[in-house]
Amino acid sequence: MDTVVVTGASRGLGRYCAEQLQERGYKVVGLGRAAVADAPFEIRAADVTDASSVASALSDLRRDAGVYALINAAGIASMNLVVTTPPDTVRRIIETNLLGTIYCCQQIAPALMRRGSGRIINFSTLGVPLGLKGEAVYVASKAGVEGFSRAFAREMSAHAVTVNTIAPGPIETALIAKVPKEKIDAVVSQQIIQRQAEPVDVWNIVSMLLSPEAGMITGETIHVGGA
Amino acid sequence: MNVTYNEIEQFIRGEVSALTGRPLDAVTPATVLVGAHRVIDSADLVMLLLASEDFARERLGASFDWTSDSAMSEARSVLRSVESLSRHLESLQQTGA
Repeated sequence: MDTVVVTGASRGLGRYCAEQLQERGYKVVGLGRAAVADAPFEIRAADVTDASSVASALSDLRRDAGVYALINAAGIASMNLVVTTPPDTVRRIIETNLLGTIYCCQQIAPALMRRGSGRIINFSTLGVPLGLKGEAVYVASKAGVEGFSRAFAREMSAHAVTVNTIAPGPIETALIAKVPKEKIDAVVSQQIIQRQAEPVDVWNIVSMLLSPEAGMITGETIHVGGA
Repeated sequence: MNVTYNEIEQFIRGEVSALTGRPLDAVTPATVLVGAHRVIDSADLVMLLLASEDFARERLGASFDWTSDSAMSEARSVLRSVESLSRHLESLQQTGA
């Protein structure tokens, strides 16, 4: 049974993907800010902004040839103008979204290298190509994820490990719970497919990237709904 | 455990030989692993580090942590050559790290 590590697995897209993986026979190891009792899969508590916390939560998987994939779904957002975003919030967004992704890749990549195959899926946002007003810091963190993923894909290609990024628009999760509907509609209207995506739309791309048939897809950012 | 320095060096030379395709005799203690005259590319260097991590754990009963801040800052000196890496692994065994 292949193991898939999912960060941000306690809620939102991470939780949705983790549940889909579990139903399809994968062993899921989730990471969350706190252990969750009602999850149908293992969730380990870790702070992705702290490299040592990630390392201690995942240390047993570093040499585990059963690990097949890492899905970095942990992320936070704060919709605000740059000049009114407190520095602590700026740092927290960059640390969680960008550094958290890098730290988790550093910890799981050795297992995938040993295995000689695998998948890493990171998350960005349609806000990057759309340059959304009020999301500059969030967009900066996710643009970093996209650049990191493209370059990291080259490092991992020798080990038959693909690294790709999925960039969804607004999806009904806790991440955008406080965003007014008109703002969501305004973003959706800029997508090529002008329909608000659902978690299953993201899962379908995750599922495709995990498949053996996706072995030649790497270093790509897939925009959900198009941008 | 009591693995001798020569056994550790033999392991490192064997790994470098296997990764680079060079004859074992052509891999010496002075063989350079990083920098201008290195014989091993960066992807294979990572594989050497992974193999060394396993060797340290299984044969030396020690932890070879090459990803921590302190290890990374020392990496260039530790990885300078087959001999320097072998000496570092030997020191881990001695300290029981």
